[in-house]
Amino acid sequence: MKIEMMMGCAALAGLMTLANTADAQERVSRASPRAAAYDANHEVVVQGTVLEYLENSTLPPIGTHVKVQTSSGTVDVHLGPSSYLHDSHFSFASGDSVRFVGAMSSVDKRPVLLARIAQKGGQAIAIRSTQGFLLATGATRSLSEKQRAQASQKVTPR
Amino acid sequence: MNTQAKRLYLLLALIPLLFLAAACGGGSAPLPPPPPPAKFSNASLAGQYAFSMTGSELCAGVGSLFTRAGSFTADGHGNITTGLEDINVCTGTATLQFTGGKYSIDGDGRGTLQLTNSTGTTNYSIVLSSTTSGLVAQTDVNVTASGSFQRQNPAAFLNAAIAGGYVFDFLGVDVNGSTVSPASYVGRFDSDGRGGVTNGLFDSNIGGTPSGQQLFPGGAFCQLDTNGAGTTFGRGTANIAGQSFAFYVVDASRLKFNGIGFPSALVGDAFAQQNIAFTAASITGGFAFLIGGSSPSGAISTAGRFTADGAGSLSSVVLDENNSGTITLLPNGTVTGMYTVDDNQFGGGSVTWTDTKSGTFSFVFYLISSSQAVFQEIDSAIISDGTFSAQTTTPISSTALAGDYVLGWNGAGSAEEDYVGQASLSSSGGLTGMTDFNQFSTGRQFFNVLLNGNLSLGGDGTQANDFTANLQTNPAATFHFTTYVVNQNTLFLVGVDTDRVIAGPLVRQP
Repeated sequence: MKIEMMMGCAALAGLMTLANTADAQERVSRASPRAAAYDANHEVVVQGTVLEYLENSTLPPIGTHVKVQTSSGTVDVHLGPSSYLHDSHFSFASGDSVRFVGAMSSVDKRPVLLARIAQKGGQAIAIRSTQGFLLATGATRSLSEKQRAQASQKVTPR
Repeated sequence: MNTQAKRLYLLLALIPLLFLAAACGGGSAPLPPPPPPAKFSNASLAGQYAFSMTGSELCAGVGSLFTRAGSFTADGHGNITTGLEDINVCTGTATLQFTGGKYSIDGDGRGTLQLTNSTGTTNYSIVLSSTTSGLVAQTDVNVTASGSFQRQNPAAFLNAAIAGGYVFDFLGVDVNGSTVSPASYVGRFDSDGRGGVTNGLFDSNIGGTPSGQQLFPGGAFCQLDTNGAGTTFGRGTANIAGQSFAFYVVDASRLKFNGIGFPSALVGDAFAQQNIAFTAASITGGFAFLIGGSSPSGAISTAGRFTADGAGSLSSVVLDENNSGTITLLPNGTVTGMYTVDDNQFGGGSVTWTDTKSGTFSFVFYLISSSQAVFQEIDSAIISDGTFSAQTTTPISSTALAGDYVLGWNGAGSAEEDYVGQASLSSSGGLTGMTDFNQFSTGRQFFNVLLNGNLSLGGDGTQANDFTANLQTNPAATFHFTTYVVNQNTLFLVGVDTDRVIAGPLVRQP
């Protein structure tokens, strides 16, 4: 009886180990390689024509992506939250001639340009800081005194 | 919660009872059981409460980070009678007095709060985890934020009460000229009970550049106001780690800080530190952690757990990292880890683990006690901080976790999202509840959204557990989380969906 119970416990422990191993394998199968950091020392310029503009791409990083046709192939460009582009009155459409400055990163084993500067025609917008961080909610922290004064006229309740 | 929404809530709550009555047939059917007694009411929110939060507001037509901390007084009958807050917004900082306001608390602890000052009225959804604390999300159009509030002890509104060691964690942005960078500060200091600060140590991570442990620069202090705001609202000012703050006293064990070193903005709490000489042996057993912040890809949040042997070695490291939709799970290969606790015995230290496939993760911490610490990541240009807490030493079951919880999740999809709500876990892991949330980018505020889901515990419950939450929005939304159980009262959740980064706790209600 005692031995049986021990065997039962051992079998249960074995099953739990198998279950845990299966869980662990399932977790690993869902995992992606870690996204690479922004390498400010190796920025590149990507110039070409917009093939596709996706405000909420299903591919990471989360946010707006532009697929750009360049002379050497297509490049996936990440622009961060679409709201920032909207609020800044900046938009893209298929066929636009564009230029981006940024750093290539590997995201889910795919090359993605993390754009720092986006240019279209005579318009340019800063997307990221020089260290590579999205400016979406920080840009207005560095307003000029004049811009601050103007913004103060239109504040919501605090 | 507006009146119409409240009615909807009551109606929806009644529907199952009506179905039950109909199913039971004629007049001889037994009466349905009475609803559970309401745990909370307007009387549950009474006295002075300190709050802090951070979020996004529309400024100059663009989303902008802002912070606030303050104190409000609730009369127990739905009225805010007075209060004070410090704000740090894109146009500067200000200290504003509340001239009025209202609140309403439902039986499940959920409710609404309105605070009125000279600039107008701000609106919030709140949920009480007890009569002394709760979670808050701002629900205004084009302004969203989230944070917490705790009942203040006015007896601690004096410098003498703020004495001894404190551990702090501040997160926000650093502005240096035109360079704006995400920033995190963690550290500790001793307050001498007269407004003076000594033994200040900190680690900053600004724009992905960790400072290493630093001494506070000269001029550190932490002093209650002498103009009446100190004794009335528990407000003070401080220079901590070279940064300027206003703070509000919760009690001698907790202070809530809001950075006033404009245009930089920081917000966070300081916690009284256990007065012991910390060593490697101070960290023994299992710990769960939850941190959040920014990376060059966007928002990031990480939750996990590890076991410390009390002598510098770590084992059983498990984590889920959501870096703007890229999900990294450990263990991926083989994980080895170690930690150190500073020789000065002030409770600072470092944690490093390496997964043979996913690379090295590095952190610093400051111990609040041998069971809790503030925790800051310092690798891979990640600016992310939060806490680690001792895990229960016994296996966790769904039955042990059954009960009522408050939820406070925040993060980002296409822009910032803040959620507060209340939900019940059944003994089989089923989740039912309701939440309010604010999605900044679309200016959409949602109230009384039904929530259901399931918690599926794996193994003994102390490792990674699957948690699904379905929001009955139109269209319906499903969030997948991994949950790390701290103990029977607290669970850490991190979202593992690729279209949003969201994280936060479930905290048991009484």
